[in-house]
Amino acid sequence: MSIVKNSIGYVRESLADTDKKFYIYCLVLLIIAVLGLGGAITALAEGHYHSNMSDMVPWGVFISGLAFFIGLSAGATMVGLLIHGFGRDDYHPVGTRAILIGMLSIFAAMGCVMMDVGNPFRAMKIPFLLRNETSMFFISSTSYMGFTAILIAELVSTIYVTIGKAGKRGKKIAKVLGIIAVPYALIVVHSFTGTIFGVVKAREMWNTPLLPVHFVTSALASGFALVILVTIITSWASKKELVGRETYNHMGIMLCFFLIATVFLDTFDYLILSYSGTEEGLETWHLLTGRYLPTFLINMVGLYAALAIVSFKKYRTSRGLLYATSITIIAIAAYRINLISIGQLVPLYPEMGEIEYVPNIHEVAPFIGLVAILMLVYAVLTKLLPLEDRVHLTHK
Amino acid sequence: MKKLNRRELIKIAAAAGAGALLPREAKAFGGMFEAITEKISEGIKGTVGREVETPLPVKGARFGMVIDLGLCIGCRRCSYACKLENNVPDAINPPYIMVFETKYKPGQIIDENAPVGSHSNGGGLLYTKLRKDRMYMPVQCNHCADPPCAKVCPTKATYKSPDGIVMMDYNKCIGCRYCMAACPYNARRFNWSKPELDPEKINPLVPVRTDGIVEKCTFCVHRTRRGRTTRCVEVCPNRARTFGNLNDPNSGVSQLIASERNFRLKVGLNTGPQIWYLTHPKKKPMRWYKPVPISPEIRGLRK
Repeated sequence: MSIVKNSIGYVRESLADTDKKFYIYCLVLLIIAVLGLGGAITALAEGHYHSNMSDMVPWGVFISGLAFFIGLSAGATMVGLLIHGFGRDDYHPVGTRAILIGMLSIFAAMGCVMMDVGNPFRAMKIPFLLRNETSMFFISSTSYMGFTAILIAELVSTIYVTIGKAGKRGKKIAKVLGIIAVPYALIVVHSFTGTIFGVVKAREMWNTPLLPVHFVTSALASGFALVILVTIITSWASKKELVGRETYNHMGIMLCFFLIATVFLDTFDYLILSYSGTEEGLETWHLLTGRYLPTFLINMVGLYAALAIVSFKKYRTSRGLLYATSITIIAIAAYRINLISIGQLVPLYPEMGEIEYVPNIHEVAPFIGLVAILMLVYAVLTKLLPLEDRVHLTHK
Repeated sequence: MKKLNRRELIKIAAAAGAGALLPREAKAFGGMFEAITEKISEGIKGTVGREVETPLPVKGARFGMVIDLGLCIGCRRCSYACKLENNVPDAINPPYIMVFETKYKPGQIIDENAPVGSHSNGGGLLYTKLRKDRMYMPVQCNHCADPPCAKVCPTKATYKSPDGIVMMDYNKCIGCRYCMAACPYNARRFNWSKPELDPEKINPLVPVRTDGIVEKCTFCVHRTRRGRTTRCVEVCPNRARTFGNLNDPNSGVSQLIASERNFRLKVGLNTGPQIWYLTHPKKKPMRWYKPVPISPEIRGLRK
C-alpha cells in the first residue's frame, strides 16, 4: 500500500507545476487516440475488409509506418553514442528524451505490425513458438525485442545516473548501453528491416542490396532530425533552451552528414532506375514520375532543401533547424510511402493493368491513433521521469 | 427406356475404353498412381473447429502441371471449379486461378489496345467459344521448386512438401502477408473478412479458412495425394491442362515439357516454377511469355 501511496504522491508532486495547456494537449491526444483505437478494434474484429489493401497490394500504411518508425528509433539512439562515445556532454539535457523517443518509436513500429497482421495474438508467439530462421520478418521482429530490451535498460541506467544514484559501475553500464545501442540499431535492427524488402525479388524497386544501406542512412537522418525537432519544441514550450547555440550547430552538422548520405543514395538510385532496361523498372519510373510525382517531389526536393538549410552555419540555429528537421522527417516519410506503395503497384503481369492503392480512413485513423498514444505517453513520461535538464536546474 | 443390343453395347464400351486410355491422359497419371504408396493423414486442423485430414506427401512423386495455351479457350471453368472445390469464399477475388485475356493480331507480339485487367472474377466471363482474335493465359500458384513465399514466411506456415506441393498450415499463419508481397506470380489470397460459404456446398475434405490468414492453390492436395487429378484438370473442356508426376519419365507432364513450345513464367527469378506452359503453335507469344529451350535443369527433374 505504501508503494501505491508513494507513487501517487510522486505523480502529484511531478505534475504540481503543470499548467492547463499541458492537460488540454493531453486531452486532445487522448481523444484522437480513442478514435483511432476504435478503428484498430474494428479491424481486429472484422478483419482488414474495410481497408484499401488488396491481394495485389497486400501491404499498406502500417508497413510504411513500420519502416518509418524503425528508422526513427535507430536514429534517435545516436545521442547516446555522442554523449558516451564521443564525450559530447552538451547533449546530456536531451539524453533521456532521445532514449524515450527511440523506445516509443520502436513501440510504434511494433504497434504497426500488430495492427497490420491478420492474427496479432498468434503473431505474439514469434519467436518462441513460431519461427522460420530464413524469414527476414522473423529476424527483424526478434531483433526489435532485443532493441527494446537495450533501450529500456539504457533508460533505467540513464535515470539512475541522472538522479545521482548510479555508482561507478552503474555509470559504466549506462555508457556501454549508450554505445552498443547504435551499432545494434543500425546493423541489426534497421539493416534487417531494409532486408525485409531487399530480398523480395518479385518487386523490382525493392530487390537491391543497397536497400539496407539506404534504410540506415535515412534512419539516421530522420531519427536524428526528430531528436532535434523535439529539443527545439520542448525548448520553446518550456521557454528555456535545453541546449546551447553551439550544440544546435553541431546537431546541424551531424544532420548534414546524414542527409548527404541519404541524398547521394536517393539521387543515384533514381538516376539508375530511370535508365532501367526492364519493363518493371520502367514501370516503376513511370509511377514515380506520374501518379506518385507529388510524393516523389516531396521526397527529393525535401531532402535537397533540408540539406541546403543545414549546409550553412548561419541557418544552423533553432529556427533554421526547425524547418530543416521538419522537412527531413516529411521527406523521408514520403520516401517510405513511395517505396512500399510503388514497389507493389508495378503489376506482376502486364495484363493486370493499372493497380490502385490509396489508404483510406480505416487505415489512416488507427495509424494516427497510434501516433497520438505515443505522443501522449511521451508527454506524460517527460513530466514524470527525472530528466537531466530539470534535475540540473533544480541543482542550480 | 430403349434396350441396347449387343453391337451397340460393344460400341459404347469401346468408345469409353478409348476415351479412358487416351495416350496423353494415360501417360499423365500412370506414373502418379504407381507412386502413391501411403495415404496416412498428417492431420492439419481446420480453422473453424473442424478437423480436416490432409494425406501425407506421396513418396517419390514430384507434382507438376502443363498448360497448353493452344488449347485454352479462356472459359474459366478451371477457375470456377477450383473455387468450389477448395471452399474459396466469394470475397476472395480474383480466385486462385486468374485467366488473362489479350487480343491477338497476326504479326504483332503485343497489341497495345488489348483489354487489360480482364482477369476472371470466378463466376463471370464464361467464354465457351474459341475466339480467334484472343489469347488466354491462366495463371496460378506455380508450386516453385525454391518458393520465395516459404522462405519469407516468419512462422513456416508455408512450406514445400517433398512431393513438390507448396502447402499452407493455416494454424500457423499470422496474416503478415509477406508471402503475398514476395510471390512473383500473385498466387496468394488473403481473407480480408470472415469467409461466407454455403454450408451445403462446403467440401468436407478441405478446411474452411478463417479471416486474417493467407491461402492458396494446393494442387488439390486432398485429391492428388489420393490418386486423383486436380479439379481444374478434370473440368477443362479442351484438355488444356495436364497434371502428373515429374519424376516419372513416362508421365504426361514429363512428355509434354519435352516440347519445344514449352516455357515457364519468370524463370529469371530462379524460383523454379513447376507449371510449364506450351505456347500456341501458330501464334507469337505475348510480351511476358519467355519461351526457353529445354535446359539441363528441366531434364534433371526426370530422375
